[in-house]
Amino acid sequence: MSDALLIADAVSKKFGGVQAVDRVSIEVASGSIHAVIGPNGAGKTTFFNTLSGFFFPDSGTVWFDGVDITNETNWRRIKRGMSRTFQTPSIFPELSVYENLLIGTQAKRGVAFRLNSPSAKARGEIDARVDELLGFVGLAAAKSRTVSELSHGSQRLVEIAMSLSTEPKLVLLDEPMAGLAEAETDRVIAVIRDLHERLGLTVVFVEHNMRVVLSLAHRITVLDRGRLLAEGTPAEIAADEAVRDAYLGKEVIDHV
Amino acid sequence: MNQNRGIFAGLAVLVVLAFGPAIGGRMNIDTSFLAEVLLTAIAAMGVNLLLGYTGLPIFGNAALFGLGAYGAGLSIKNWHVGFLVSILLGIAAALVGALIIAPFLLRRRNIYFGLLSLAFGQVFYFIAYRYSDLTGGEDGMSFARPPLNLGPIHGTVSDTLMYYVTYALFVVATVAFWLIVRSPFGRTLVAIKQNELRVRYLGLNADRFILVGILIAAVYAGLAGALYGLLLRFAFPLLLDWHQSGNFILMTMLGGAGTIFGPLVGAIIFVIGKDVISTITPAWEIVLGAFFIACVLGFPKGILGSIGAALNRGRAEPEEELVPAVAIDQARAKIQSDSVQ
Repeated sequence: MSDALLIADAVSKKFGGVQAVDRVSIEVASGSIHAVIGPNGAGKTTFFNTLSGFFFPDSGTVWFDGVDITNETNWRRIKRGMSRTFQTPSIFPELSVYENLLIGTQAKRGVAFRLNSPSAKARGEIDARVDELLGFVGLAAAKSRTVSELSHGSQRLVEIAMSLSTEPKLVLLDEPMAGLAEAETDRVIAVIRDLHERLGLTVVFVEHNMRVVLSLAHRITVLDRGRLLAEGTPAEIAADEAVRDAYLGKEVIDHV
Repeated sequence: MNQNRGIFAGLAVLVVLAFGPAIGGRMNIDTSFLAEVLLTAIAAMGVNLLLGYTGLPIFGNAALFGLGAYGAGLSIKNWHVGFLVSILLGIAAALVGALIIAPFLLRRRNIYFGLLSLAFGQVFYFIAYRYSDLTGGEDGMSFARPPLNLGPIHGTVSDTLMYYVTYALFVVATVAFWLIVRSPFGRTLVAIKQNELRVRYLGLNADRFILVGILIAAVYAGLAGALYGLLLRFAFPLLLDWHQSGNFILMTMLGGAGTIFGPLVGAIIFVIGKDVISTITPAWEIVLGAFFIACVLGFPKGILGSIGAALNRGRAEPEEELVPAVAIDQARAKIQSDSVQ
């Protein structure tokens, strides 16, 4: 428990008569990649939304970095060092790639609220940081392009770079491969791996694509119909009978 | 390059406006109409900041405009304040009005924001209309235009001097607007228009930005309203009416929402158009309406917005997309060497 960056304890969320998430707990070790998987309607995204403050759980507790953030509003969580992406890239579509990364970068530097332009030195630092983020996701050449003109995969990478612009400790990725072509998937996998290996960040992601989950995750949490079904290493999950029955296809198990 | 061209065009406009009374005189346009154009443009700039830049349909801005006129008029009548102080008190009245409605507006977005701002605007309108002991009610309230004492200028304020005071404040308002929309704050407003959720997920309290945006719009509305009151020496309830709010929106959209000089272009067409066409035919609203329809069909982004888009289309960037894997590897290598240091 000592080195856990994110802990959720018995989190529940109900929509009308549907218990979307039912007493789900998770413990994410600092510096690890943790996947949340499960069949459609398992409550993955709902659970994710309680972690990121998109809405609040009905009961249960969420700790981040040792602080109870259960009912803390989303932008405060970001200031604490959390960030997230969405299934459909949440970007500024009509702005340039540069401007998309500028907003978070200047927010992190505490100058977002200024009514006059920052000093040339501060602007230089901000621009250098934007360039660094663009280099990280391999979009340096697209800096002045309007984001809506880019491919879906590139928009996803812009969103990941945006989520890095606030210099987080934890990155939450909601189905990062959704809607991507195979080649694009490989690019995004490489970037997520780099979040861990090169930047030392903690990553939690929701994903359907088992190839992605098994190649990236250190630990996996499996949800089914709103409940925690299993938790463990990829090998443990692949061997788990209940998981096999509920979710995994045989070919995936054989793949492991 | 493009930015320099914009600055030169803006300076040219400001220089031309400095000769407004002389140009207007040759075209038989009264100087007070020109002052009305500029002060209307100031109010529309405030609407533009919210509507054009932040994407918030503010339908009650006339209430703040009217509060500016009443604030200036009441302070002149009751406290016998000077010219400039009456303007400051007009702005203060608009700010107070904005601070009352802002906490409610911040809870709503899109059309609901618009309807709520419209409803609050009408509340202020009815107060001006009903509370006749203070405001003169339906008949309005007349007051004197106090003398101006500022350095070498002191004495009564003629319509020509009124134009130049309005012009000076218009220049200040325009330069301030230009600086604001280029500042980190202004860029964040544009980002809020694009995707408020993402702005929040970048760790920013969007409400705080919108609140300040509303207050800035209130300063512009209050300043414009105070100037209008001083120009007419009169304040009346219809200044606060939603019809007036609609006019501000119309001229902003017409000139180009989200452009610096769009509100000015819209105000010129609106105020002068009304004046010129109404001398030709009493059915001037039909003619102006037909012109608006033609503009909206021909210039969907407003006159300046569509011209800007056409200029940018001329030099679209070449198609290129997939970034070579080599570039990604180089970037990773750099980041790794950075993190080693």
